[in-house]
Amino acid sequence: MANFRQFRPDDLNKFSKCNLDPFTETYELGFYLQYHAKWPSLFQVAEDQHGNIIGYIMGKLESSPDYYKFSEHYLPWHAHITAVTVAPEARRLGIGKMLTEQLEAAADANDAWFVDLFVRSTNHKAIQFYKSMGYSIFRTVKDYYGDHSSDPTKSSEDAYDMRKPMKRDVKKEHIREDGEKFEVDPSDVW
Amino acid sequence: MSYGRYGRPALKNSVDVQLQTAFTDGNWNTVIRLADKRFKTLKDPYYEAIRIAAESQLDGTTERCTALIAIDELVKSKAVPDYDTLELLEWAARDYLYDTEYAETLGPLRARWVKANPKSKYSVKCLQSCLEFWDLVSAQQIATTLDKAFANSGDRQYMFWSITLTYLLSISPQCSEASKKVYSLLVVKQLERAADNTENSEKVEPKDRGLLQEEEISLYYRVMLSHGSKEDFISRMESSKLGPLAQLKEGRKDLFYQALNAYESWSEWDRIYDLCRQALRLGLDGATPTFSVCDYKVWKKFALAASKSKDHDTALGEVQSILKEFIALKTNTAMYKKNIALALLDTAFRQPTAPGSSGSESGLTPRVIQIGLYLDSYFDKLSAFDDVKDFVAELSFDEVKGLMEEVLPKMLEEKSEKSSQVILKSLICKLRYLLTTCTQTLSHNPSVADGQEQDKPYQCRLCSNLTSLPCENCLRSVVTEAAQIYQQIVDDSELLAVIPRFDKDPRIDLALVMGNSILKLSGLRPRTSDVAPAPLRDVNPSLFLQAVLVLDTQLKVTPGDVALRLLLAQLYLLLGCASYAYQIWTPLDVKRTIQDSLSPLFFDRISSLSPGLFTGTRPLMEPLRSYYNNSLHSSCPLRIWDAFGSGSYSSILEMTEFDSKLRRSCTLMMSIVEERRATRAFGGKIECEIGDLALTENIDDTTTILNKTDYGSFVNLESPEGPPIQEFLRIGPELSNERAHLSFLAEQYLDLIHHKPPKDHRPYKPSEASIKERAYTFETLSQLNNSLTGFIHRPTTPAALTSPEATYYTVVSLLSAAVLTALSTTRAEPYPAETMSVITSSIRTAFTGLHTRFTSSSTASKGGVDETLYSLSDMHTLSYVRETALAMRHSAAFVQAWNDRELARDRSGKSTLHKDGLAELKALDAMAAKTVTEVKGHIQKLKEALGQGGWLDKMLDWTFGAAEGSQEEGDEKVRKAVEDVVGGREGAEEWVGKVVESWGQGVKGWGLVKME
Ligand SMILES: CC(C)(COP(=O)(O)OP(=O)(O)OC[C@H]1O[C@@H](n2cnc3c(N)ncnc32)[C@H](O)[C@@H]1OP(=O)(O)O)[C@@H](O)C(=O)NCCC(=O)NCCS
Repeated sequence: MANFRQFRPDDLNKFSKCNLDPFTETYELGFYLQYHAKWPSLFQVAEDQHGNIIGYIMGKLESSPDYYKFSEHYLPWHAHITAVTVAPEARRLGIGKMLTEQLEAAADANDAWFVDLFVRSTNHKAIQFYKSMGYSIFRTVKDYYGDHSSDPTKSSEDAYDMRKPMKRDVKKEHIREDGEKFEVDPSDVW
Repeated sequence: MSYGRYGRPALKNSVDVQLQTAFTDGNWNTVIRLADKRFKTLKDPYYEAIRIAAESQLDGTTERCTALIAIDELVKSKAVPDYDTLELLEWAARDYLYDTEYAETLGPLRARWVKANPKSKYSVKCLQSCLEFWDLVSAQQIATTLDKAFANSGDRQYMFWSITLTYLLSISPQCSEASKKVYSLLVVKQLERAADNTENSEKVEPKDRGLLQEEEISLYYRVMLSHGSKEDFISRMESSKLGPLAQLKEGRKDLFYQALNAYESWSEWDRIYDLCRQALRLGLDGATPTFSVCDYKVWKKFALAASKSKDHDTALGEVQSILKEFIALKTNTAMYKKNIALALLDTAFRQPTAPGSSGSESGLTPRVIQIGLYLDSYFDKLSAFDDVKDFVAELSFDEVKGLMEEVLPKMLEEKSEKSSQVILKSLICKLRYLLTTCTQTLSHNPSVADGQEQDKPYQCRLCSNLTSLPCENCLRSVVTEAAQIYQQIVDDSELLAVIPRFDKDPRIDLALVMGNSILKLSGLRPRTSDVAPAPLRDVNPSLFLQAVLVLDTQLKVTPGDVALRLLLAQLYLLLGCASYAYQIWTPLDVKRTIQDSLSPLFFDRISSLSPGLFTGTRPLMEPLRSYYNNSLHSSCPLRIWDAFGSGSYSSILEMTEFDSKLRRSCTLMMSIVEERRATRAFGGKIECEIGDLALTENIDDTTTILNKTDYGSFVNLESPEGPPIQEFLRIGPELSNERAHLSFLAEQYLDLIHHKPPKDHRPYKPSEASIKERAYTFETLSQLNNSLTGFIHRPTTPAALTSPEATYYTVVSLLSAAVLTALSTTRAEPYPAETMSVITSSIRTAFTGLHTRFTSSSTASKGGVDETLYSLSDMHTLSYVRETALAMRHSAAFVQAWNDRELARDRSGKSTLHKDGLAELKALDAMAAKTVTEVKGHIQKLKEALGQGGWLDKMLDWTFGAAEGSQEEGDEKVRKAVEDVVGGREGAEEWVGKVVESWGQGVKGWGLVKME
């Protein structure tokens, strides 16, 4: 069972169901608070009947800094999903999808061109999850992660930069086919 | 050299290149020389400020003070300071300026500057600076000035900054009680006016001083709730513009919840009913997204409110009819369907017709049928048990029978797939365990028969046996049943192959059910007060070990399971295997932000269990320390300026509150105290007195220190009426305000008696210094004694401590009194014999009690288990015997050293202490010294015992019984079930090795601990 609402800092004391799962990264306090401070409506949680957080999404609205304007990698005004996670016991109920849709609605309301995110290229479940909602791979960022989630002999892992166009992108200018083959370096993403 | 937290300020453009360059390059001596020269020729005091700022970068104390002196002069002058001068001086002073000093100096200077230059772009920087030092008084003044200056500009944020800061001030300790009242009234008035502007205008424009954005309205709700009257709030909620329903139509769900929660706190059920009904209707009509209203919480409140309505039949009918309309919606996601299914279940339980009175003898009441329907759809979901648990616990006994004997067996029959059957069966096992914890399954038997107290005062209504609580017979059959299903899975390769596709491996649940049942059978009960015996003293060790073994075996099969790990880490701590517990704990990767709520699960009391863990290569408390240092390095809540800049007013309030709670965290205090104890144990140097740490800066006796431990990831199969599982698993009561304060005070006492003036310290006027030291020591001792006594005698304290802790804090508190008395009685004065004798005999009594607990061997050696096991699992007592004894010894040494110093200072001997006082402390010292020797001997004995061979057989015998048939019949069945699951005695050998090795490591660590 679940309730959806905006994140409150006290929720950090109830994160165990999500964050003890190895696929979910735990950040420093300032990182969570920055999102809560700047984009409170894009930081949403699902809680169970005891107040445990069983899912959350953290996102932001931004464009690349102006001095990148002439770079081919410049990103116009868009929403970015920084983290989305659902506790194992609450998966496959549509919670992840509802959290994401809610963020997409906010992206549309703020006239964003698209929503994007990074995902480990071996996180098949998550990739499936995003694809099911209309996201596609826009580019592959080589060796984006400094470790490998499933192969300890490797010291890095690629990321997929996935995107879904929003209403503003009527002509679908911000997505591409076969984006997987479009490789960039980590220094090209900001 | 530090440049402070913020970059060097830029110098004014008018400053010449030579000086600019020297400043940028940090050539401070050159800057000083040039600035001085410029000042002399140009007479511009700005150059004086440059010189002072440069001087403050040099390493002398006097140079540093010049900046502070210059700031003071500016404050006194009453003139409006020059902005760049302020920037320079603030930068120069910021690393050694206390926040309180800021609020008296730079804060007011900044406010003064803004008043004179309200429209300058630097005004906002002044506000930011005040917030960095959390000077709310000046910040609020600046915000108010800005608001006035920009009142008609359409720049709304100044108005809301001002309101937000006025509110923060009205609840801040920086404000006197009288001013708090004034600010409270002011902020309510401001927001009411803004709300009225919104209500009275057709369409609010950004330049109107009304409420427009969600964050603004949220601020209004919060402030009205906190400072306004209930009646005012309720009447304002009726508004068709700013009320929660109107806001919900805009998708502003948070406001809807705020109103709903407020109504609930006032038990305004009719309002809750109306609000939920209208909100859900909006969802049905598509006037608001279902996302906004379809939470389970809304349904639950709706049904509860309906059940409290005067006409509850009609009201509940309405709930059901709305539910039906939602069911008919095609767009529902799985989550909403589940919420709705639960809401249906909840509604069935809110129906007023009492169960049993429905005349349904079979127990197949609508409630039971509804549980059945729910489980039929969701039995294979991970959360199924948690979803229905509270409902099942609420059933009457007849209903329980209906569910367990009719509904579930029938459901099981209908499942044709083997995998579904197994999942359902393990769910049934969990429910059976749950029922053993629910009182409706027991009926009272006369508790006294023939004048004798019965040890089995109940009759179990499920199995008809006489029993104590919980029913052992039922627990045993739950174990055998679970073991059977477990075996069925393990023996079936088809089933094993499909398990990865399940939500969860059913073997985990089965192992948890077995583990929990056997723990209960072993007699493990919550230890929630200072009279509870040591963890395993009153437990059947054989059963306890079996439970641990079953769970450990399962962890090897499913190492990724968090709940198993958490449970086992606790159990190994109970068993005295801290190093193994740590191995189990580490992969959970509790780090950064989640440490505050999760670290206590492993680290609480750890120095008393296994100080050896602190000698590892990685400093045990380092991650916690750096978390608190990073998060609380300044008194300003982290990231608060981001929230001001983004107009996130509700975030500002929440972040401020969170920050205040984090500073008062029990975990924070735990991490400091545990580390200090371990440092002392190994003779390390404690760098800073506990009261001087920045992290304890704002903690005094009136502070409420908060326990925020998160038990959410434990699998709790217990009835909601009884204690949750974690209470069975802890060494003693959880973290608490009382324990945090006592540990803080005891550490302060130890700081005082361990304090040694630096060797080369030669005071300028020795006798004056000595008078000062005396006064300081007396004052501190008397304060500590007052505080310690106060906390020890709080009625809530016994439930917050283990028995050894209670003794330790009692003794420390008495010692502070004894030392104070001894120090304040010189040989020339009459000796307060009676007072002193009361104190020292209380110390003796308390200490003897603890000593007895330490030495008493278990009265009945259970299952042939020798004393070693009990000792290994009770290092906590040993640890406090040591701590207490050392506190006594060090107190005596402190008094003796004091006396020696007095003698050296004043050869006449007039100021030396009274010999009787010295003698009493000496006697305590002797008593303690003897005990410390015993502690050493005890550790040595444990070392020898572990060094002897034969541990494998010994442990296997303890676990499984020395010979078949050596146990009671019931226990025999359990043992067989356990053997089946773990692969018999052979299957347990590796486990025994780990346990014994971990004991060895623990004892080895104790061997390194200083005993003086
Ligand atoms: C990825 C994750 C957030 C999905 O959350 P969720 O609430 O279970 O997802 P939903 O129930 O909303 O799924 C929506 C759709 O996504 C797809 N999907 C989700 N999980 C899937 C899986 N494990 N395999 C295949 N498809 C999946 C399905 O199409 C699903 O619809 P369906 O259930 O009707 O078939 C969750 O699995 C998770 O927290 N994983 C760990 C953390 C993580 O990897 N985060 C992403 C980092 S970028």
